[in-house]
Amino acid sequence: MIGVGGKIKQYTNVLDKPLSKGRQEVSLSAFAFLFSELVQYNQTQVDNITELERRLEDAGYAVGTRVLELLCHREKGNRRETRLLGILSFVHSTVWKVLFGKVADSLEKGTEHEDEYMISEKELLVNRFISVPKDMGAFNCGAFVAGIVRGVLENAGFPAVVTAHFVPMEGQQRPRTTILIKFADEVLRREAMLG
Amino acid sequence: MIVCVAVVGHQNNPLYLQSFTEADDALKLHHIVHCSLDVIEERVNNPKKSGPTLNETFLGLLYPTENYKVYGYLTNTKVKFILVTTDLEVRDADVRSFFRRFHAAYVDAVSNPFHVPGKKINSKTFAARVSSIVKTFGSGAA
Repeated sequence: MIGVGGKIKQYTNVLDKPLSKGRQEVSLSAFAFLFSELVQYNQTQVDNITELERRLEDAGYAVGTRVLELLCHREKGNRRETRLLGILSFVHSTVWKVLFGKVADSLEKGTEHEDEYMISEKELLVNRFISVPKDMGAFNCGAFVAGIVRGVLENAGFPAVVTAHFVPMEGQQRPRTTILIKFADEVLRREAMLG
Repeated sequence: MIVCVAVVGHQNNPLYLQSFTEADDALKLHHIVHCSLDVIEERVNNPKKSGPTLNETFLGLLYPTENYKVYGYLTNTKVKFILVTTDLEVRDADVRSFFRRFHAAYVDAVSNPFHVPGKKINSKTFAARVSSIVKTFGSGAA
């Protein structure tokens, strides 16, 4: 350990050594178990899948607000994002990197509407150990990640509706997951004003 | 000598106000902090074209009043930190490092899953950390 003034401190007793910071990672299995418990707990509390999706999204929203504060503080040379593309690339790379260890697979702009953007991922980390039974229809546990994205966007000043969808891909047996982000009107007006 | 620090949320709701003088003037401090919010709004909405770029976090000296100086800092989520001090010569670097440490303490307080965003910060560890940061600020500035 380097002390103040650049002197190297020698520790005679191993118990005196300060605790190492450890690897900045959480074990995947621990997270998978915790997430499955979260889904199971919410399943017992609700009667239908829209309610379940909403609860997962709310849980994700709480995570999103805190992640935003934390990342903005850790980033060196921090600038407040005011542009749409800026905040989207922030979510797509920085937030994904911190949460899942890699950047998201792709970020696309929707063709039908001006205010839609999509972040897609071949397989969401949270869905890796989950298989949805047929009778739950189009339910996607990616609602949790959608909630995180919504939390980040809303607290950065870009209110949006964020949902998670499965998109079947030819040539692959598991469908790709897409997070669909639909921004509120005021965001588009502000963006147009900023030029 | 730092008189008080305050955290104001993005809807200009007060989240935390701590005074470090013995006098019981919390109301006056609330008032000073409230007035400084106007200055922040003005700085954020009308950036000086020749000044620093649009998205700086540290806003600098907001305005001097009677015998106080008020410094501001804006985070990415539009949460504002206000610092009120009676020191006459305060170094810019000191205030910046103060806000950096304050921001770290704030992030830790908000990461608490039991903290409801938008409500008052009721964490004792946050209060203790803020007091220790304030103490080191006083001794650091020569």
